[in-house]
Amino acid sequence: MSESVLRIDDLSIVYRTARGLVRATSHVSFSLAKGETIALIGESGSGKTTLSLALIRMLPAAAQITSGAIHYTRNGQTRNVLSLSPGDMRAFRWKECAMVFQGAQNAFNPVLRIRQQFADTAAAHGIKDPEVVKARTLELLRLVRLDPQRVYDAYPHEMSGGMKQRALLALGVLLDPQVVILDEPTTALDILTQRAIIDVLNEMQKRLNFSIIFISHDLALAAEMADRVATMYAGEIVELAPVAEMFYRPHHPYTLGLLRSVPKLDQRRDDLVSIPGDPPNLIDPPSGCKFHPRCQFATDHCHQEAPPLVEYTPGHFAACWHTDKVAAARSGFIDLKEVKKDDRS
Amino acid sequence: MATLNPPIRSASSRPPSLTASARLRRLARSYTLRVFAQAVVTVWAVITFTFFLIRLMPGNPVDVYIDFLMNQQNITYEEARARAASQFKFDPDANIFVQYGEYMGRLIQLDLGESITSTGTRVIEQIARFLPWTVFSVGLGLFISFILGVTIGTIMAYLRNSWLDNLFSLLASILGAVPNYIWGLLILIVFGVQLQWFQVGALRGTYNSSLTPGFNLTFLLSVLTHAALPVLVYVLGSIGRWMLNMRNSTIGTLGEDYVSVARARGLPPSRILLAYVGRNAALPMFTLLAIDIGFIIGGSVIIEELFVYKGIGSFLFWSISQRDYTSMQGVFLVITISVVFSNVLADLLYSQLDPRVRVGGGEK
Ligand SMILES: Nc1ncnc2c1ncn2[C@@H]1O[C@H](COP(=O)(O)OP(=O)(O)OP(=O)(O)O)[C@@H](O)[C@H]1O
Ligand SMILES: [Mg+2]
Repeated sequence: MSESVLRIDDLSIVYRTARGLVRATSHVSFSLAKGETIALIGESGSGKTTLSLALIRMLPAAAQITSGAIHYTRNGQTRNVLSLSPGDMRAFRWKECAMVFQGAQNAFNPVLRIRQQFADTAAAHGIKDPEVVKARTLELLRLVRLDPQRVYDAYPHEMSGGMKQRALLALGVLLDPQVVILDEPTTALDILTQRAIIDVLNEMQKRLNFSIIFISHDLALAAEMADRVATMYAGEIVELAPVAEMFYRPHHPYTLGLLRSVPKLDQRRDDLVSIPGDPPNLIDPPSGCKFHPRCQFATDHCHQEAPPLVEYTPGHFAACWHTDKVAAARSGFIDLKEVKKDDRS
Repeated sequence: MATLNPPIRSASSRPPSLTASARLRRLARSYTLRVFAQAVVTVWAVITFTFFLIRLMPGNPVDVYIDFLMNQQNITYEEARARAASQFKFDPDANIFVQYGEYMGRLIQLDLGESITSTGTRVIEQIARFLPWTVFSVGLGLFISFILGVTIGTIMAYLRNSWLDNLFSLLASILGAVPNYIWGLLILIVFGVQLQWFQVGALRGTYNSSLTPGFNLTFLLSVLTHAALPVLVYVLGSIGRWMLNMRNSTIGTLGEDYVSVARARGLPPSRILLAYVGRNAALPMFTLLAIDIGFIIGGSVIIEELFVYKGIGSFLFWSISQRDYTSMQGVFLVITISVVFSNVLADLLYSQLDPRVRVGGGEK
């Protein structure tokens, strides 16, 4: 877990719009170790997709990276993704870092067979031997538990949504990338298919040892998949911690709010709390801590000065002036969860 | 309950008739058969309609010829009438339904009959003589226009909202808004008459009539120079539509998930352009192209007349002016068949190009 494959340093991204600059990602820093899974959580519009698109430089034309660097390491060699030439960038994509886009229901070209799209991908990265490509494709299709022969020759429209998503995962690891970004990979699928995809994903990761950036609104799924979790709010990482730490001892009021807003089967309705207020305006964000207008613990200090991301316990970072108050507030809520966990085991 | 009864009874108590009707239904569903039956009915309806319609036009072949004789040779109406009667086998006073019966009877034996005004010439021979020139010139125009328009449209989509795209969009709208015969007139008047870039008189016909047709360079060159202006007009008249259609189709395709995913997969831009964007964006173009093939003849009438290009369009024009009913009918039949055929072609082409509508393709 020590060797880092990706290190993001002070990354800021804006969108130029008619109404002004949208600060979609601000000063984000974290690193991803080999074989590690980091889950990005945070409400809609918090900048998760923007951040992950930047990693493979697929941001829309309106976006601009205003600061930062993305260091990528393979075999001890480190390069800044942001300064790769167009040719190197093309080689980087999918070979080093594959991405499953959010809501990509039509990730496959409808007029080409699945095998052709695997072959295209391999050929684009210099693997042209048809026998090699075929063997690898069939092996991966089997790994994602599809009927390899049938899917190999199929057109996308002949497959269900779940099948396509699995085929896409297989395609994702075709070139043995070190990093796979999954932007809500299971959102459009039913709960059983979702389960199957997650199982397949875990199995693939065990076999191929790639790192994952996992974006999901489903906190239970994130908890299951991730080694570490990063909470994003208004384009910033406000908390970053190992998964158990994050879910049992959240330090940031926003993370706590997110956890509280998840309904549990054994929970009474009135224990469910939604975070008051609206997501912040990213064109003209609040002063100081961007979360302060919605925060029950906010003081004058929060108004005036943005809290830095501080390491409270080893590996547990949070950006909040009042982590002590959060700790006091979470105890009642978290006890409930720990009881629940004990029940299960 | 009462409404439910009949189907239940027929399903349980009459199995033999059910299988027969099921077979009939399957037959009716058979694609080829349906298309063929549709085609036959369409052709018959158009033939019948035009048969009566053209006979409702004022004048008839005999009257036209009588007028011609009286004007040309300064003879009296009676003399002209007698001459015309001896010249034509056609009797304008015969019962129209009897004529229709005779015509259909011959048509069923694939006989288009004889030209009324050029006695002794079979209509099928005239069609065979004029049709190839039209297919050649309009087909060439369509081909050039399609290739150019689709290419430019794709470029416009890639460079959307640039000054080049705006310029081409404006151009395409202008080209598309002006009917092609206006371009024909403009070319004739500006470049032929005013600027004298070419000799208007020298370009009459489909080739230089002093040459004997054959596969030699001079002849082929003559064919091309004679076809050049009509072809140019066909291109001008249709390219705007191809450009705009392809531009919009490509812009739509560029926004598709699979194009972004293809870029994320690191595919080279050329491969994305051809196999991912182009192939999908061009799908609807091929349907339009196939349908256009049906309008080859209809679109050629005025242009061929304007450039004195002796194709089937100008032949139709001449037949109409002479009220040569059988010749007209012959050409209308060809037009109908080509429209029907091109629609079938469009269907077939689309199902070949798009696996999603391919039925029973060689897959498995
Ligand atoms: N193309 C764009 N042009 C302008 N603004 C954009 C564009 N794409 C995203 N944004 C803005 O950037 C911010 C972050 O968007 P992003 O898609 O990264 O959020 P997200 O966390 O992925 O949300 P979700 O959970 O809904 O997917 C939002 O405020 C959004 O409005
Ligand atoms: Mg998103």
